[in-house]
Amino acid sequence: MTIDPEMLMAYADGELDPLSAKRVEKAMAADPALAERVAAHRALRATLAGHFAPVAEQPVPARLAALLDDAVVPIRAAPARRRNWLSAGNLAAMAATLVIGLLAGRMLEPAGPVASRQGSLVAQGSLAQALDTQLASAPPTGAATRIGLTFRDPAGALCRTFEDRALSGIACRAAGEWTLRRTTSGDAAQGAYRQAGSAETMEAAQAMMAGDPLDAAAERAARDGGWR
Amino acid sequence: MPFERDLLALLPRLRRFAQSLARDPADGDDLCQAAIERALKARDQWQAGTRLDSWMYRIMRNCWIDEARARTRRGQTFVAEDAGLGVGNDGHTRTEMAVELGNVGRAMAKLPDEQREVIALVLVEGFAYKEAAEILEIPIGTLTSRLCRGRDALMVHLGEAA
Repeated sequence: MTIDPEMLMAYADGELDPLSAKRVEKAMAADPALAERVAAHRALRATLAGHFAPVAEQPVPARLAALLDDAVVPIRAAPARRRNWLSAGNLAAMAATLVIGLLAGRMLEPAGPVASRQGSLVAQGSLAQALDTQLASAPPTGAATRIGLTFRDPAGALCRTFEDRALSGIACRAAGEWTLRRTTSGDAAQGAYRQAGSAETMEAAQAMMAGDPLDAAAERAARDGGWR
Repeated sequence: MPFERDLLALLPRLRRFAQSLARDPADGDDLCQAAIERALKARDQWQAGTRLDSWMYRIMRNCWIDEARARTRRGQTFVAEDAGLGVGNDGHTRTEMAVELGNVGRAMAKLPDEQREVIALVLVEGFAYKEAAEILEIPIGTLTSRLCRGRDALMVHLGEAA
Protein backbone atom coordinates (compact mmCIF):
# COMPACT_ATOMS: atom_id res chain seq x y z
CA MET A 1 0.00 0.00 0.00
CA THR A 2 1.50 3.34 -0.96
CA ILE A 3 0.86 6.55 0.90
CA ASP A 4 1.49 9.63 -1.21
CA PRO A 5 3.20 12.68 0.29
CA GLU A 6 0.02 14.78 0.34
CA MET A 7 -1.89 12.10 2.18
CA LEU A 8 0.87 11.82 4.73
CA MET A 9 0.86 15.58 5.19
CA ALA A 10 -2.92 15.61 5.59
CA TYR A 11 -2.57 12.93 8.24
CA ALA A 12 -0.01 15.00 10.12
CA ASP A 13 -2.44 17.94 9.98
CA GLY A 14 -5.39 15.90 11.23
CA GLU A 15 -7.22 16.40 7.95
CA LEU A 16 -7.95 12.78 7.08
CA ASP A 17 -11.16 10.91 7.69
CA PRO A 18 -10.84 8.09 10.26
CA LEU A 19 -10.63 5.34 7.63
CA SER A 20 -7.78 6.97 5.69
CA ALA A 21 -6.04 7.84 8.94
CA LYS A 22 -6.10 4.17 9.89
CA ARG A 23 -4.49 3.28 6.57
CA VAL A 24 -1.73 5.78 7.14
CA GLU A 25 -1.12 4.54 10.68
CA LYS A 26 -0.79 0.97 9.41
CA ALA A 27 1.71 2.09 6.81
CA MET A 28 3.62 4.10 9.41
CA ALA A 29 3.90 1.07 11.67
CA ALA A 30 5.51 -0.83 8.82
CA ASP A 31 7.77 1.98 7.62
CA PRO A 32 9.62 4.16 10.14
CA ALA A 33 10.51 6.65 7.40
CA LEU A 34 6.82 7.56 7.11
CA ALA A 35 6.54 8.09 10.84
CA GLU A 36 9.60 10.34 10.74
CA ARG A 37 8.06 12.36 7.95
CA VAL A 38 4.89 12.89 9.95
CA ALA A 39 6.98 14.03 12.90
CA ALA A 40 8.87 16.44 10.61
CA HIS A 41 5.59 17.92 9.36
CA ARG A 42 4.39 18.49 12.91
CA ALA A 43 7.73 19.93 13.99
CA LEU A 44 7.64 22.37 11.09
CA ARG A 45 4.16 23.52 12.06
CA ALA A 46 5.30 24.04 15.64
CA THR A 47 8.35 25.99 14.48
CA LEU A 48 6.34 28.32 12.26
CA ALA A 49 3.51 28.84 14.71
CA GLY A 50 6.02 29.47 17.48
CA HIS A 51 7.97 31.95 15.41
CA PHE A 52 4.98 34.15 14.64
CA ALA A 53 2.99 33.63 17.85
CA PRO A 54 4.61 36.56 19.69
CA VAL A 55 3.18 38.99 17.11
CA ALA A 56 -0.34 38.19 18.26
CA GLU A 57 0.70 38.70 21.89
CA GLN A 58 2.06 42.21 21.31
CA PRO A 59 -0.15 45.21 21.94
CA VAL A 60 -1.68 46.48 18.70
CA PRO A 61 0.02 49.69 17.51
CA ALA A 62 -2.08 52.75 18.21
CA ARG A 63 -2.20 53.84 14.58
CA LEU A 64 -3.96 50.58 13.68
CA ALA A 65 -6.35 50.57 16.61
CA ALA A 66 -7.21 54.20 15.87
CA LEU A 67 -8.61 53.17 12.47
CA LEU A 68 -11.26 51.20 14.31
CA ASP A 69 -11.97 53.68 17.05
CA ASP A 70 -15.63 54.68 16.99
CA ALA A 71 -14.69 58.26 17.69
CA VAL A 72 -12.78 58.49 14.42
CA VAL A 73 -14.41 58.69 11.02
CA PRO A 74 -12.33 56.03 9.35
CA ILE A 75 -13.16 56.77 5.72
CA ARG A 76 -11.70 60.23 6.17
CA ALA A 77 -8.36 58.92 7.27
CA ALA A 78 -8.08 56.48 4.43
CA PRO A 79 -6.90 58.44 1.39
CA ALA A 80 -4.08 60.25 3.17
CA ARG A 81 -2.69 57.12 4.75
CA ARG A 82 -2.92 54.96 1.71
CA ARG A 83 0.04 56.69 0.14
CA ASN A 84 2.17 55.35 2.91
CA TRP A 85 1.59 51.84 1.76
CA LEU A 86 2.22 52.56 -1.89
CA SER A 87 4.85 55.25 -1.61
CA ALA A 88 8.07 53.54 -2.67
CA GLY A 89 9.17 53.80 -6.27
CA ASN A 90 6.71 56.48 -7.31
CA LEU A 91 8.48 57.26 -10.52
CA ALA A 92 8.34 53.72 -11.79
CA ALA A 93 4.74 53.47 -10.65
CA MET A 94 3.91 56.49 -12.75
CA ALA A 95 5.56 54.88 -15.75
CA ALA A 96 3.58 51.73 -15.12
CA THR A 97 0.38 53.75 -14.81
CA LEU A 98 1.01 55.30 -18.19
CA VAL A 99 1.30 51.87 -19.78
CA ILE A 100 -1.85 50.73 -18.03
CA GLY A 101 -3.64 53.88 -19.19
CA LEU A 102 -2.75 53.07 -22.77
CA LEU A 103 -3.99 49.51 -22.37
CA ALA A 104 -7.21 50.62 -20.71
CA GLY A 105 -7.77 53.10 -23.51
CA ARG A 106 -7.67 50.31 -26.02
CA MET A 107 -10.24 48.34 -24.08
CA LEU A 108 -12.91 50.97 -24.51
CA GLU A 109 -15.13 50.08 -27.38
CA PRO A 110 -18.85 50.20 -28.02
CA ALA A 111 -19.54 46.50 -28.67
CA GLY A 112 -20.41 44.23 -25.74
CA PRO A 113 -18.07 41.61 -24.30
CA VAL A 114 -19.82 38.61 -25.86
CA ALA A 115 -20.79 37.61 -29.39
CA SER A 116 -22.75 34.66 -30.68
CA ARG A 117 -20.96 32.58 -33.29
CA GLN A 118 -22.54 29.46 -34.80
CA GLY A 119 -24.55 28.70 -31.75
CA SER A 120 -21.85 29.28 -29.16
CA LEU A 121 -20.94 32.35 -27.22
CA VAL A 122 -17.49 33.79 -27.70
CA ALA A 123 -15.69 36.58 -25.91
CA GLN A 124 -14.99 39.73 -27.84
CA GLY A 125 -13.89 43.26 -27.12
CA SER A 126 -12.65 44.00 -23.64
CA LEU A 127 -13.34 40.50 -22.33
CA ALA A 128 -11.42 38.85 -25.19
CA GLN A 129 -8.64 41.36 -24.63
CA ALA A 130 -8.45 40.51 -20.94
CA LEU A 131 -8.47 36.77 -21.63
CA ASP A 132 -5.80 37.19 -24.30
CA THR A 133 -3.42 39.43 -22.46
CA GLN A 134 -4.03 39.52 -18.71
CA LEU A 135 -2.04 37.36 -16.34
CA ALA A 136 -3.61 36.42 -13.03
CA SER A 137 -0.13 36.87 -11.62
CA ALA A 138 0.13 40.47 -12.88
CA PRO A 139 -3.22 42.12 -13.57
CA PRO A 140 -3.27 45.74 -14.67
CA THR A 141 -4.33 48.09 -11.90
CA GLY A 142 -8.03 48.85 -12.01
CA ALA A 143 -8.71 46.19 -14.63
CA ALA A 144 -12.44 45.68 -15.16
CA THR A 145 -11.99 41.95 -15.57
CA ARG A 146 -10.28 39.70 -13.06
CA ILE A 147 -8.68 36.56 -14.37
CA GLY A 148 -8.57 33.72 -11.86
CA LEU A 149 -7.30 30.27 -12.74
CA THR A 150 -5.85 29.10 -16.02
CA PHE A 151 -6.01 25.37 -16.65
CA ARG A 152 -6.35 22.71 -19.33
CA ASP A 153 -9.53 20.73 -19.83
CA PRO A 154 -9.35 16.98 -20.53
CA ALA A 155 -9.27 17.69 -24.29
CA GLY A 156 -6.16 19.81 -23.75
CA ALA A 157 -7.79 23.19 -24.41
CA LEU A 158 -6.67 26.08 -22.23
CA CYS A 159 -9.43 27.53 -20.09
CA ARG A 160 -9.50 30.58 -17.86
CA THR A 161 -11.92 31.73 -15.18
CA PHE A 162 -12.86 35.38 -15.31
CA GLU A 163 -14.95 37.81 -13.35
CA ASP A 164 -16.11 41.29 -14.01
CA ARG A 165 -19.00 43.37 -12.79
CA ALA A 166 -21.45 42.17 -15.42
CA LEU A 167 -20.37 38.63 -16.10
CA SER A 168 -18.23 35.86 -14.70
CA GLY A 169 -17.50 32.35 -15.83
CA ILE A 170 -15.09 30.11 -17.67
CA ALA A 171 -13.81 30.59 -21.21
CA CYS A 172 -11.88 27.98 -23.20
CA ARG A 173 -9.70 28.44 -26.24
CA ALA A 174 -11.09 26.98 -29.45
CA ALA A 175 -10.29 27.92 -33.04
CA GLY A 176 -8.45 31.07 -32.03
CA GLU A 177 -11.31 32.40 -29.92
CA TRP A 178 -12.47 32.21 -26.31
CA THR A 179 -15.64 30.15 -26.13
CA LEU A 180 -17.71 30.73 -23.02
CA ARG A 181 -18.34 27.41 -21.34
CA ARG A 182 -20.05 28.65 -18.25
CA THR A 183 -21.28 32.06 -17.29
CA THR A 184 -23.14 33.64 -14.45
CA SER A 185 -24.20 37.23 -14.46
CA GLY A 186 -22.12 39.32 -12.12
CA ASP A 187 -23.68 41.45 -9.48
CA ALA A 188 -22.35 44.96 -9.52
CA ALA A 189 -23.84 45.75 -6.13
CA GLN A 190 -21.95 43.02 -4.37
CA GLY A 191 -18.45 43.70 -5.62
CA ALA A 192 -15.25 41.79 -5.19
CA TYR A 193 -15.61 40.63 -1.61
CA ARG A 194 -18.81 38.69 -1.82
CA GLN A 195 -18.69 36.14 0.94
CA ALA A 196 -19.58 33.35 -1.45
CA GLY A 197 -16.85 34.67 -3.74
CA SER A 198 -16.59 32.88 -7.02
CA ALA A 199 -16.99 29.57 -5.26
CA GLU A 200 -19.40 28.16 -7.84
CA THR A 201 -17.10 29.08 -10.69
CA MET A 202 -14.17 27.54 -8.83
CA GLU A 203 -16.11 24.36 -8.29
CA ALA A 204 -17.04 24.18 -11.96
CA ALA A 205 -13.40 24.84 -12.89
CA GLN A 206 -12.21 22.06 -10.66
CA ALA A 207 -14.67 19.67 -12.29
CA MET A 208 -13.42 20.64 -15.78
CA MET A 209 -9.74 20.61 -14.91
CA ALA A 210 -7.23 18.00 -16.06
CA GLY A 211 -4.37 18.17 -13.54
CA ASP A 212 -3.35 21.27 -11.61
CA PRO A 213 -4.01 24.84 -12.70
CA LEU A 214 -1.11 26.60 -14.40
CA ASP A 215 1.29 28.41 -12.11
CA ALA A 216 2.46 31.96 -12.86
CA ALA A 217 5.33 30.89 -15.13
CA ALA A 218 3.22 28.42 -17.09
CA GLU A 219 0.46 31.00 -17.44
CA ARG A 220 2.89 33.48 -18.93
CA ALA A 221 4.33 30.82 -21.24
CA ALA A 222 0.82 29.88 -22.39
CA ARG A 223 0.02 33.50 -23.17
CA ASP A 224 3.29 34.03 -25.02
CA GLY A 225 2.57 30.85 -26.97
CA GLY A 226 -0.81 32.15 -28.12
CA TRP A 227 -2.90 30.00 -25.75
CA ARG A 228 -2.40 26.82 -27.76
CA MET B 1 -20.17 49.84 16.47
CA PRO B 2 -20.05 46.04 16.51
CA PHE B 3 -18.29 45.81 13.16
CA GLU B 4 -15.37 47.93 14.32
CA ARG B 5 -15.31 46.17 17.68
CA ASP B 6 -15.12 42.76 16.05
CA LEU B 7 -12.38 43.88 13.72
CA LEU B 8 -10.45 45.30 16.63
CA ALA B 9 -10.66 41.93 18.36
CA LEU B 10 -9.25 40.30 15.22
CA LEU B 11 -6.33 42.72 14.94
CA PRO B 12 -3.72 40.68 16.84
CA ARG B 13 -4.30 37.70 14.53
CA LEU B 14 -4.40 39.90 11.47
CA ARG B 15 -1.07 41.44 12.39
CA ARG B 16 0.42 37.99 12.75
CA PHE B 17 -0.90 37.00 9.33
CA ALA B 18 0.37 40.23 7.80
CA GLN B 19 3.84 39.68 9.19
CA SER B 20 4.03 36.13 7.93
CA LEU B 21 3.24 37.45 4.43
CA ALA B 22 5.23 40.68 4.43
CA ARG B 23 8.96 41.12 4.39
CA ASP B 24 9.37 42.80 7.75
CA PRO B 25 7.29 44.03 10.70
CA ALA B 26 6.91 47.56 9.31
CA ASP B 27 5.64 46.23 5.96
CA GLY B 28 3.35 43.93 7.91
CA ASP B 29 1.71 46.80 9.75
CA ASP B 30 1.39 48.83 6.55
CA LEU B 31 -0.35 45.85 5.01
CA CYS B 32 -2.60 45.59 8.05
CA GLN B 33 -3.54 49.24 7.71
CA ALA B 34 -4.32 48.90 4.01
CA ALA B 35 -6.50 45.87 4.74
CA ILE B 36 -8.45 47.61 7.53
CA GLU B 37 -9.08 50.60 5.31
CA ARG B 38 -10.27 48.40 2.49
CA ALA B 39 -12.52 46.46 4.87
CA LEU B 40 -14.09 49.65 6.23
CA LYS B 41 -14.88 50.81 2.72
CA ALA B 42 -16.29 47.41 1.79
CA ARG B 43 -18.16 46.81 5.03
CA ASP B 44 -21.53 46.73 3.28
CA GLN B 45 -20.35 43.63 1.44
CA TRP B 46 -19.77 41.64 4.58
CA GLN B 47 -22.82 39.52 5.37
CA ALA B 48 -23.68 39.46 9.04
CA GLY B 49 -23.76 35.91 10.34
CA THR B 50 -20.86 34.80 8.14
CA ARG B 51 -17.32 34.60 9.40
CA LEU B 52 -15.71 37.98 9.68
CA ASP B 53 -12.25 36.48 10.09
CA SER B 54 -12.32 34.60 6.76
CA TRP B 55 -13.62 37.70 5.01
CA MET B 56 -10.93 39.84 6.57
CA TYR B 57 -8.13 37.39 5.80
CA ARG B 58 -9.24 37.38 2.18
CA ILE B 59 -9.15 41.15 2.02
CA MET B 60 -5.71 41.26 3.56
CA ARG B 61 -4.41 38.61 1.22
CA ASN B 62 -5.75 40.56 -1.78
CA CYS B 63 -4.11 43.76 -0.50
CA TRP B 64 -0.84 41.88 -0.22
CA ILE B 65 -1.13 40.46 -3.74
CA ASP B 66 -1.90 43.91 -5.14
CA GLU B 67 1.12 45.37 -3.42
CA ALA B 68 3.38 42.49 -4.46
CA ARG B 69 2.28 42.95 -8.06
CA ALA B 70 2.84 46.68 -7.93
CA ARG B 71 6.31 45.96 -6.62
CA THR B 72 6.96 43.46 -9.40
CA ARG B 73 5.88 45.98 -12.01
CA ARG B 74 8.22 48.57 -10.55
CA GLY B 75 10.98 45.99 -10.60
CA GLN B 76 10.28 45.21 -14.23
CA THR B 77 10.42 48.87 -15.19
CA PHE B 78 13.85 49.19 -13.64
CA VAL B 79 15.04 46.08 -15.41
CA ALA B 80 14.01 47.57 -18.71
CA GLU B 81 16.07 50.66 -17.97
CA ASP B 82 19.14 48.85 -16.78
CA ALA B 83 18.86 45.97 -19.20
CA GLY B 84 21.57 43.41 -18.68
CA LEU B 85 22.46 44.37 -15.14
CA GLY B 86 20.28 41.69 -13.62
CA VAL B 87 18.77 43.82 -10.86
CA GLY B 88 15.34 42.26 -11.17
CA ASN B 89 14.30 41.16 -7.73
CA ASP B 90 15.69 43.98 -5.57
CA GLY B 91 18.21 41.65 -4.01
CA HIS B 92 19.59 44.44 -1.88
CA THR B 93 16.41 45.03 0.09
CA ARG B 94 15.98 41.32 0.46
CA THR B 95 19.39 40.90 2.01
CA GLU B 96 18.84 43.75 4.42
CA MET B 97 15.55 42.46 5.63
CA ALA B 98 16.88 38.94 5.94
CA VAL B 99 19.10 40.09 8.77
CA GLU B 100 16.20 40.90 11.07
CA LEU B 101 13.89 38.08 10.07
CA GLY B 102 15.70 35.13 11.58
CA ASN B 103 15.85 31.70 10.04
CA VAL B 104 12.12 31.13 9.81
CA GLY B 105 11.34 34.51 8.30
CA ARG B 106 14.17 34.08 5.82
CA ALA B 107 12.93 30.68 4.76
CA MET B 108 9.39 32.05 4.37
CA ALA B 109 10.65 34.96 2.27
CA LYS B 110 12.23 32.51 -0.18
CA LEU B 111 8.91 30.83 -0.93
CA PRO B 112 6.89 31.81 -3.99
CA ASP B 113 3.91 33.96 -2.96
CA GLU B 114 1.40 31.23 -3.77
CA GLN B 115 3.11 28.85 -1.37
CA ARG B 116 3.75 31.44 1.31
CA GLU B 117 0.10 32.43 1.61
CA VAL B 118 -0.96 28.81 1.95
CA ILE B 119 1.69 28.09 4.58
CA ALA B 120 0.72 31.24 6.47
CA LEU B 121 -2.97 30.37 6.57
CA VAL B 122 -2.63 26.70 7.46
CA LEU B 123 0.53 26.42 9.54
CA VAL B 124 0.68 29.84 11.18
CA GLU B 125 -2.99 30.81 11.41
CA GLY B 126 -4.25 27.27 11.90
CA PHE B 127 -7.04 27.26 9.30
CA ALA B 128 -8.34 23.91 8.10
CA TYR B 129 -7.56 23.09 4.45
CA LYS B 130 -11.14 23.77 3.43
CA GLU B 131 -11.26 27.15 5.16
CA ALA B 132 -7.93 28.22 3.71
CA ALA B 133 -9.00 27.16 0.19
CA GLU B 134 -12.15 29.27 0.56
CA ILE B 135 -10.19 32.31 1.69
CA LEU B 136 -7.86 31.98 -1.28
CA GLU B 137 -10.65 30.99 -3.68
CA ILE B 138 -8.73 28.01 -4.98
CA PRO B 139 -9.71 24.34 -5.24
CA ILE B 140 -8.68 22.25 -2.27
CA GLY B 141 -6.45 20.03 -4.43
CA THR B 142 -4.49 23.10 -5.47
CA LEU B 143 -4.19 24.13 -1.85
CA THR B 144 -2.78 20.79 -0.72
CA SER B 145 -0.27 20.57 -3.54
CA ARG B 146 0.99 24.10 -2.81
CA LEU B 147 1.10 23.34 0.89
CA CYS B 148 3.09 20.19 0.26
CA ARG B 149 5.61 21.92 -2.00
CA GLY B 150 5.94 24.87 0.36
CA ARG B 151 6.61 22.57 3.29
CA ASP B 152 9.22 20.60 1.37
CA ALA B 153 11.01 23.85 0.53
CA LEU B 154 10.84 25.09 4.12
CA MET B 155 12.21 21.82 5.44
CA VAL B 156 15.13 22.09 3.03
CA HIS B 157 15.81 25.72 4.00
CA LEU B 158 15.49 25.09 7.71
CA GLY B 159 17.09 21.66 7.76
CA GLU B 160 15.05 18.54 8.26
CA ALA B 161 15.35 18.84 12.02
CA ALA B 162 13.41 22.11 12.07
